[in-house]
Amino acid sequence: MSIIQVKGSGGSVAVDRSPFYGGRVPQEIKAISKPMAKIDKQTFRKLLQMIVSSMEGKEIDCAVLEELEHDIFTKEVLSIVYTGLYSLLRRAIRLPLTSLKPEMFKEDIKELNIPEEFHSDLASVIFGSRGPQITAHCLENRPRLPRLDCLKWRVDVAISTSVLNRVLEPSILMELTLSDGRIHTFEIPVAKFHELRYNVAFVLKEMEDLEKRSILKIKD
Amino acid sequence: MALLFTATPAIKRAVASINALEPSKFPLLLTRITQKLHLKDDRTFSEEEETKLQDALALTAGDLELVLQTLEFFLQQAAYHAAKPAVFTQQLQQLDMDEDKVKTVVEAWTSSGREVVQRLRQRTLNPKQLEDINWRLSLQMAQATQVKMKMPNAMFELAVKNENTDTREKIRMEFTHDELYKFYNQLETIQKQLDSLS
Repeated sequence: MSIIQVKGSGGSVAVDRSPFYGGRVPQEIKAISKPMAKIDKQTFRKLLQMIVSSMEGKEIDCAVLEELEHDIFTKEVLSIVYTGLYSLLRRAIRLPLTSLKPEMFKEDIKELNIPEEFHSDLASVIFGSRGPQITAHCLENRPRLPRLDCLKWRVDVAISTSVLNRVLEPSILMELTLSDGRIHTFEIPVAKFHELRYNVAFVLKEMEDLEKRSILKIKD
Repeated sequence: MALLFTATPAIKRAVASINALEPSKFPLLLTRITQKLHLKDDRTFSEEEETKLQDALALTAGDLELVLQTLEFFLQQAAYHAAKPAVFTQQLQQLDMDEDKVKTVVEAWTSSGREVVQRLRQRTLNPKQLEDINWRLSLQMAQATQVKMKMPNAMFELAVKNENTDTREKIRMEFTHDELYKFYNQLETIQKQLDSLS
């Protein structure tokens, strides 16, 4: 039995998957097809560099955008291209590399009438060495509760107190520095410390079990 | 220094009142005192209870106060020195306490002394104490800039009681797998130190 591959009307994207930018081309991406036909490679590369820097969390200088201005490319057009390319790359980079392959990416941007000469530059942002850096930056900056930056501790053994001649009871003093800058200092009685250690060990084990479970092994 | 009671006029007066107490009511009084001995600022009996006790034990307000304070003092001293029953008995006897009352006090001490001392050992001066531990394990599936993720994360909430302000502060943190593993290793190091003590 032969398999007939049905192709979308006029398009070359296989029908069994939708493009990485979604079923419908977003407005800001649609807007770049006209200026992209006229843009020169140098201007394009400068814009791309700015976008990548911004995605890596670096400050970008708007003056660069002004320097690129000339008769055809007014600040407005440059802004449109910048916005469209930014949105395009954001949509690509948010997919894991296991689900967006370079061929698919090129197929999809071809659909957007982006001239062939820019394809490899665009692909190299996603699939080249910058990709993992951008992804790492995204993970680093995800919304989250503060992390534990620094843990200082000490163990004391009480010798005697006003109510007991011989105590010999250990206690733990902990100082937690969180990533939001707050420092918490408190005492943990030994029994509570066991509870804390048990809970942390338990969650760690649960986490390891979770990662082993098949749900995490599905590649999509 | 060993346990040593001195027969001051106040103690003599208190012992006389104790000797006169009805034997059936005395053990109950001692039970309550041993239960509350480790509490720092609490009175053993409320004002209302004290009024009732005055009637029940046929004591004046002043005598009741003295009896309670003296019994608390005996037991606190016994705890401080981790007194042996024989020593405690002998010390109470030399204050001219009746034999049956001495026996009741020492019995109360033998039965609950260990517990009282244990509670006193845990008494601390640090106003901030870890009181409660809560956690939640989740799997992050996506975020604004990333989809199809499977990243486990654990949130911990540590409730710390502050005795100075009588409030409970909650410390919330989030851990990735690596971060949690690091935290766990630090706790293990502390545990090793505790193990080396015993």
